[in-house]
Amino acid sequence: MPNWKRKLSLCAAALCTAAVSLSLTAPSASAQDKKFKIYLSMSYSGNSWQSEAANIVKALAATPPYDKTVELTQVISGTDPQAQIAAYESMIAAKADGIISFPISSTALNRVIHKGCEKGVKFFMYDATVTEPCAYNVSYITAGFGENSAQALVNALGGKGKIFLSRGVPGNSVDKRHTDGAMSVFKKYPGIQVVDEYYSFWDDRTTQQETAKALAAHPDVDGIWAQAGEYGAIQALMDKGSKLVPMTGENSNGFRLALANPDFQKRGLKGVSAGSPPASAGYAFKLMMEALTGKRDLKPGNIEYPLPWVPADQVKLCKGQTFEDGCNAFPEGVVPSSFVTEVFSPTLLPELSIQSALEGKPTPGATIQPLPADVPKAADEPGINCQKCEPPADQYKLTKVQPTVNP
Amino acid sequence: MTEAHPPGATVAPAPRAQRQTERVADNRRTARLRPETITAVCVFGISILLVLGSRFVSPALGSWDHVNTIILLASFLIVVAFGQGIVIMIGGLDLSVPALITLGGVLTTSWIDASSGMSLPLIPAILLICACIGGISGLGVTLLRIPPFIMTMATGIITASAALGLTSGTPRGAAPPILTALMKASWIGIPVILLFILAFAILGSVLQGRTSYGRRLTAIGANPVAAHVAGIAVRSSVLIAYMLSAAASGFAGMMLAGYANGATLRMGDDYLLPSIAAVVIGGSSILGGSGSFVATIGGAILLTALSTVISALGIPQGWRTVIEGSIILIALLLLRENTFAFLRRRLAR
Repeated sequence: MPNWKRKLSLCAAALCTAAVSLSLTAPSASAQDKKFKIYLSMSYSGNSWQSEAANIVKALAATPPYDKTVELTQVISGTDPQAQIAAYESMIAAKADGIISFPISSTALNRVIHKGCEKGVKFFMYDATVTEPCAYNVSYITAGFGENSAQALVNALGGKGKIFLSRGVPGNSVDKRHTDGAMSVFKKYPGIQVVDEYYSFWDDRTTQQETAKALAAHPDVDGIWAQAGEYGAIQALMDKGSKLVPMTGENSNGFRLALANPDFQKRGLKGVSAGSPPASAGYAFKLMMEALTGKRDLKPGNIEYPLPWVPADQVKLCKGQTFEDGCNAFPEGVVPSSFVTEVFSPTLLPELSIQSALEGKPTPGATIQPLPADVPKAADEPGINCQKCEPPADQYKLTKVQPTVNP
Repeated sequence: MTEAHPPGATVAPAPRAQRQTERVADNRRTARLRPETITAVCVFGISILLVLGSRFVSPALGSWDHVNTIILLASFLIVVAFGQGIVIMIGGLDLSVPALITLGGVLTTSWIDASSGMSLPLIPAILLICACIGGISGLGVTLLRIPPFIMTMATGIITASAALGLTSGTPRGAAPPILTALMKASWIGIPVILLFILAFAILGSVLQGRTSYGRRLTAIGANPVAAHVAGIAVRSSVLIAYMLSAAASGFAGMMLAGYANGATLRMGDDYLLPSIAAVVIGGSSILGGSGSFVATIGGAILLTALSTVISALGIPQGWRTVIEGSIILIALLLLRENTFAFLRRRLAR
């Protein structure tokens, strides 16, 4: 019965197009001599991280002077690489000046990116990366989240104990890089026993349910190493009773507040909040605009965004709308628990406030500030940001924390 | 009626009629059991065996604590599968389940502030909104004669996109205390959610099995033309079925929000196929016209128990999914009516 199948897929395609066109943002109206046509291509949307990243790009594009010179169009293509290839194709055909994007695959988009580069389109990838050499990858991936957070957990556990690994999306290169880095540390310690390993899809609620299942079998767990979704892991522990254990996770506001909570600390919670910052999207956008406007001569390649690293004793609540005076978390009620706090950077993105991250609105009175001249280069990671390349010998070198216990 | 079927009608009535004549002629005890009852007993039996057997996987499993975890995690699926079961009963399929779960959760956390006392009037209001969206699916299916899975997929996509647009990607707020209490509190040592699921099971099976509305659904699922001829208001019954399903999904979204103390936009994604699987494992015909809610609950508990045990096996993700799929397949094959008929013949001999 291919007929109903075709009808079904036609119908789905039509509806998806409708959904996509609904979410397109209207470009600012006033006509100028030369407007830069910029496309924001997202693969999926619907979690806090993705929407915050998109919102800060929108906010920056609406901050003077870019509000007059940039015409930003957002396209969400879903989790299917084919759809993002098609989206890139139409952006190239529409004579885009630049495409800023969260790529769904590190390899599947290479051909279309290469074609775009030949037509003079600049491709800036944020957070996730591609192996096509003519693209710019702006990411924290090479900064060693996995190995550093694993060492912090081992230190907190005194070198021995049963742990869970709460991973991301199966088959994803970022999840693999994080886990490989973490395992490079855990393997050194025979006392560390990984008793359960589950995929939580970087989602709070999935993490909570998967952790609850793992806790049913291993109520005596001593620590949890988690990727994004870590707030769910804390909730699962709390559902079980009073005992909390050391854990590491990414940058949700809920997790940072929990780390700083004296009651939770008494019950056994310690750890570190690190991981993927949506701010890298803002950094990528500003770099792209400086390159397009000729303010910066930047060759394509891999650019490293610094790894956010906030141990429990360094959590500091913000009084205002942005990161000021070294603060790094917001009081309860200002933002939802799942809000990823690392949307700000006093040096790289002073233009942003909470409203930028939540609603894509520019901060009143802010203007675009120039970026520091120095752009940190990222190490090669085969299959992640380069094709036929060798990783450096010190790929899993610890940068944020040193071992305090011997294997 | 057993001889000539109107074109387009399902053929379900024939075996049904045969079964009835069998039942009249054969009144030994084994034959008096309804097939739905046997399925329900079997599904619950397998679940209990699985939980008891899980002690061999990990000594912490098989405990009362493990059972509590299973009931808690299965509760969302049970509520969703109630609605899905009603729609499947009338020969439809509800693909808008994930979107309505998300909508229920997102509206709950963004409209009902954690500290506000407005929970009691707002919860029914949100359920009503969800029911109205289900009503749109129902109208499309009944009036415009759009196939159910296309219609519900369309309303699902529109609802999900609207939720994405309204929240601009970040759902705000936290769960109201009443929902947190539903998911996490205990009453004289018994988890509230366990009591809730018991009450929900009783109400749900009374609605499906003992009310005239429930019987109408069975009749429509078995043969809509015959049901119409028999004077049943087919359209309004179908419409209400979709509304009930949407409201059930919306309520599951509220429960998830209470459990996770917040809403995410992909919170419903994991419930579409399991909700259909729970209904089918519970012995309902995917073509409609037969099934019981108690057996569906058994299906939901079996699926959840299975996933907790597999999670404890400590094997790679790929193999976990392979094992889970295989066990579901074996369960379905074993739970077919033919198997029961065969067993019944054997037992009666």
